[in-house]
Amino acid sequence: MSLMDKMLALDQRIIFALLFLALAFPILNPVILPMDIQKYSRDSFEFADSIPAGSVVLIEGGLGAATYPQGGPGLEVQIVHLLQKDVKLVFFSISTEMAQWTVTAINNALDNLPSGVAAENGVNWVHLGYVPGGESGVAALANDIRSVKTEDHFGTPIDQIPIMANINKASDFAACFWWGGSEGSIPYGVRQIVTPFGIPMTGMCTTNEVPNYTPYINSGQMIGIIGGVRGSAEYEYLMGMPGLALGQAMATNFGGLLWGILVVLGNILYFIARREEGAD
Amino acid sequence: MDSFLLGLIAGSFVSIGAYSVLIGDNPLSKFTENLYMGILGGFIFATNWNYVRTNAFNPVFQGNFVYIVAIILCVLLFSRLKTEWLWLSRYPVAVTVGAGLGLAIRTTIIADFLGQISATVLPLTSLDNLLMVIGTVTAAAYFIFTAQMEGPYKYVNKTGRVFLLAAFGVTYGQTVSFRFELVIGRLVDMLRPEVAIYTYVMLLLVALGLGYGYYTKKIKWYSGR
Amino acid sequence: MSDRLIKMQIPIILTAIIGLLMIIEFFFPMPATITNLNITLRSFVTIISAAALILGTIVLTIYHGKKVGTKGSEWYYSIVYILAFAITAGLGVINVRDTTFLWIYNNMTSPIGAALYSLTAFYITSAAYRVLRARNWEGAILLVSALIVLLMLIPIGAILFPPVVPIGTWIRNIPSGAGFRGMIIGTSLGIMGLGVRVFLGRQKEHLGIREERRGSE
Repeated sequence: MSLMDKMLALDQRIIFALLFLALAFPILNPVILPMDIQKYSRDSFEFADSIPAGSVVLIEGGLGAATYPQGGPGLEVQIVHLLQKDVKLVFFSISTEMAQWTVTAINNALDNLPSGVAAENGVNWVHLGYVPGGESGVAALANDIRSVKTEDHFGTPIDQIPIMANINKASDFAACFWWGGSEGSIPYGVRQIVTPFGIPMTGMCTTNEVPNYTPYINSGQMIGIIGGVRGSAEYEYLMGMPGLALGQAMATNFGGLLWGILVVLGNILYFIARREEGAD
Repeated sequence: MDSFLLGLIAGSFVSIGAYSVLIGDNPLSKFTENLYMGILGGFIFATNWNYVRTNAFNPVFQGNFVYIVAIILCVLLFSRLKTEWLWLSRYPVAVTVGAGLGLAIRTTIIADFLGQISATVLPLTSLDNLLMVIGTVTAAAYFIFTAQMEGPYKYVNKTGRVFLLAAFGVTYGQTVSFRFELVIGRLVDMLRPEVAIYTYVMLLLVALGLGYGYYTKKIKWYSGR
Repeated sequence: MSDRLIKMQIPIILTAIIGLLMIIEFFFPMPATITNLNITLRSFVTIISAAALILGTIVLTIYHGKKVGTKGSEWYYSIVYILAFAITAGLGVINVRDTTFLWIYNNMTSPIGAALYSLTAFYITSAAYRVLRARNWEGAILLVSALIVLLMLIPIGAILFPPVVPIGTWIRNIPSGAGFRGMIIGTSLGIMGLGVRVFLGRQKEHLGIREERRGSE
């Protein structure tokens, strides 16, 4: 077997090991490089910044165990951002796992809140918790919150929660922030909240889903989007609170380069092998 | 040791178990997978039971008897466990599918269909707008499978394919980055300074254990992949 | 009432009536009775969806139980599943906010789930090396756009190859955006077509009717 044949038939476990090293190395030896802010992230940040004080906004917490490292830092910073502006927050989630991780985001955000910023549960924010049914559940919530939620995530009856006194449908909110993670649920928000009620919406999704939602952004149905860990890092940067997301965004450097090198190498070897076969 | 640190260490251990499947199926990876399914199944069971109890049973106990219908529909769903009674589950499924389809259709007409078409009506004054219009029309036309691929329509189809390939290529590139971010997210927790030593020790133990298993042929080695 | 009416036709008609109620409510003013009925139906859907997830976990548990009972292949792993399920479900049913229940979920399931989900990074890299080839112009479009966009996303890509940022952004917004817009339009037509077929009773698979022709109805 020639060297080229051996390389084309390389055991994939060697590639796994190389990738593992390429991703672990920058975590152990972080290198921070300059990074442009993408337009989608800037639009999303500026939209959040434009929400008037005293407004009540709806936030869908759709980050799970796998996607929390990417979106969690951004969500935490956005919670700080909105609470600092005296915007009241109503959270909900369309899965049990995501409802639990939303609690993590809220707790971490509250830990990082500057002193003097009001952040009382029930007054400045409330977590309604899990709403099953996917898009049907979102539609039910948007049309009548009390038809699907009688208590919040922590068991407090909804009618005892001050922030919910005049809130019962989507039209009662000033804006919607859809942190959809990799649920693929952003269209639920566009279809069930933006379209029927005209509520402006921005969101977050994992990096792979950003192209799926560019049509909604280009058509004005969504205002910007925070895409994956890069988007979260950009939000942290715009808020002046660099953190975990920035480090993780930097850590993609070596993995991405390795992937590019392997693809180019694989194609070069393929074309050489094809030419040799043609010559034979 | 506080529960937070203990949690990180436990998380690191089980993550190594999950990642060991990259070498090939082995007892540790299978144990980890079954542990994961068991705990996740229990979590889903408990949290959804809590939702049903809170939103169906509690209203009935408080006098809102219309929710008895919801409880009956839930019970009918469980008829799926016995083949002879499977037809009973069609009633709750009919309610769910009917409502779901109705809710999706009523807004997809406006948001996805009319909304996207109106956004495509652009002045053809720039290359970008021209490409957007051509790309949208031809990509949408690509999904019409009832037309014959001949004459001018063949070129419409081919053009649509170019734009769809660009879309898939972009998605592929973004997906690669996303997958790397997933690994990085896990590694950040596993390689935290206070947890790293436990991670390295566990890696060493797993390597020794699996190495012994492969050497003595007690675990099957998948070669030449 | 005939068997066919109760077992097949009434569920089909029920699907259509409920679906049409949801659609009509959106486009036309309705009396309060209909609006309240729809609100109630939507809340029923969320409850049934939660029950469906419970049913799913029970079915999986029965499968593992049978495997242990019949000592099927690698049945001992099923004991791991059953024990983990029993402990977690038991703790959660007693108190869904119990700290031990939440600790188990946060520190055992979440990391494993994240790790399993991230395994595809390794397979996608291996597959890219072995299979992602510019064999023809179509493969070349896919490969080049993937490479440019990935380099655009990683910070070092913009430093090593500055043109990838404007080029990648343009590809993502215009050709890819147009492609996805076409897909969204096509998908929405598909949803509408599916709805019409389901409401007219031409498509019955959601009620499991095709699969039951092999067994009893």
